[in-house]
Amino acid sequence: MAEAPEWARLTDQEVVLLARGGREAAYRELVRRYERPVFALLYRMVRDRELAEDLAQETFVKALNAIDSYRPEFKFSSWIFKIANNAAIDHLRRRELDTLSLDGSPHAETPEAMQATALQIGARQESPLDAVEAKELGGAIEAAIGRLRPEYRSCILLRHVEGRAYEEIAEILDLPLGTVKTYIHRARNELRLALAHLRE
Amino acid sequence: MTPAPGPHLSPDDVELWLTGTLDAARTRHLELCPECFDRAQAEREIVEQLAALPLMAPSLGFEDRVMARVTVADPFALRSLRQRIFASRRSMAIAASLALALVGSMAASVAWSLANQEILISAGNWVLAQGSQAGWFALRGLASNFIEQPWYESARAFADHPGRLAAALGALTLTYLSGMFALRRLLALPSQQVAHAA
Repeated sequence: MAEAPEWARLTDQEVVLLARGGREAAYRELVRRYERPVFALLYRMVRDRELAEDLAQETFVKALNAIDSYRPEFKFSSWIFKIANNAAIDHLRRRELDTLSLDGSPHAETPEAMQATALQIGARQESPLDAVEAKELGGAIEAAIGRLRPEYRSCILLRHVEGRAYEEIAEILDLPLGTVKTYIHRARNELRLALAHLRE
Repeated sequence: MTPAPGPHLSPDDVELWLTGTLDAARTRHLELCPECFDRAQAEREIVEQLAALPLMAPSLGFEDRVMARVTVADPFALRSLRQRIFASRRSMAIAASLALALVGSMAASVAWSLANQEILISAGNWVLAQGSQAGWFALRGLASNFIEQPWYESARAFADHPGRLAAALGALTLTYLSGMFALRRLLALPSQQVAHAA
């Protein structure tokens, strides 16, 4: 039987190679390495713990079941963040479609639910739910991130929370480098304006 | 008050300042321009708050829930081999080169054979003649050795009785089959079952 490697010493690429070789422990190691950052990104993107966990699970299942299609010349982190971000963006788009229905969500079954999901004009202002989430998430900055456009949110979170380089963010989001820089600058600017009252 | 030199800081300049790589001239502007300084300072505060956001983790058992839905790769599966070949341009180039070398050498071999049939036939005849001659000598040597053995006569007498011969062959066959069965049991690999938490 093969000896268990010292996982901490192995690079992501080496762990992926072991996973491709049929080592279940290598799959688990990849989950352990990325469950926190992937979950944190998704949570801050969708602002719902249960949903973020579902999306994180989908992300890992999708990535690990397709481990043979991973191209080692790219960073594993870029690959997994790309899958996670796409899952979040897909979800937000679907939710936006539901929210934008004049009569409420097609899934709403009661008049109250229809009203609750009907077209919300000017929905950018903080709702009581947002306020509760802001408290749970730890403050005004979290609430302000939640009000950013999804693409700005991905960029700012990857850059300043996950500490990814601009080039890697461009790779993850399939965007030109210049666009990534612009989005991050705009996102910081919006956050600065949103939090200006706290500086005074 | 000394006026700040050069234009106001661009977003790229602010980014460089945040990472501590803004050049001296632009830094000088920043120090002397309250407008730029306030903006840069506000952005720095935002960056610091973002970096200080709490770490988050999924609920307990997340890893097991993921693994319950993951199929561990079988490195010997044909599908896996195909996926590996098409995994990157490099692997495709290596596979294509190997395939080309294989097909090329086979084609060259066929072409040479067709162009040199006479050489091949005479070489084949010579190998056949030498081989049969060597084989014949070996057989004769083996037979004479066999006949000269002291037990040859008694073995021949044993083989004269068909019943005894059949019993001996039966015992040999049984021994062979038992040996094969035992070897199979010994060499059988454990099945690749993976324990997952519920």
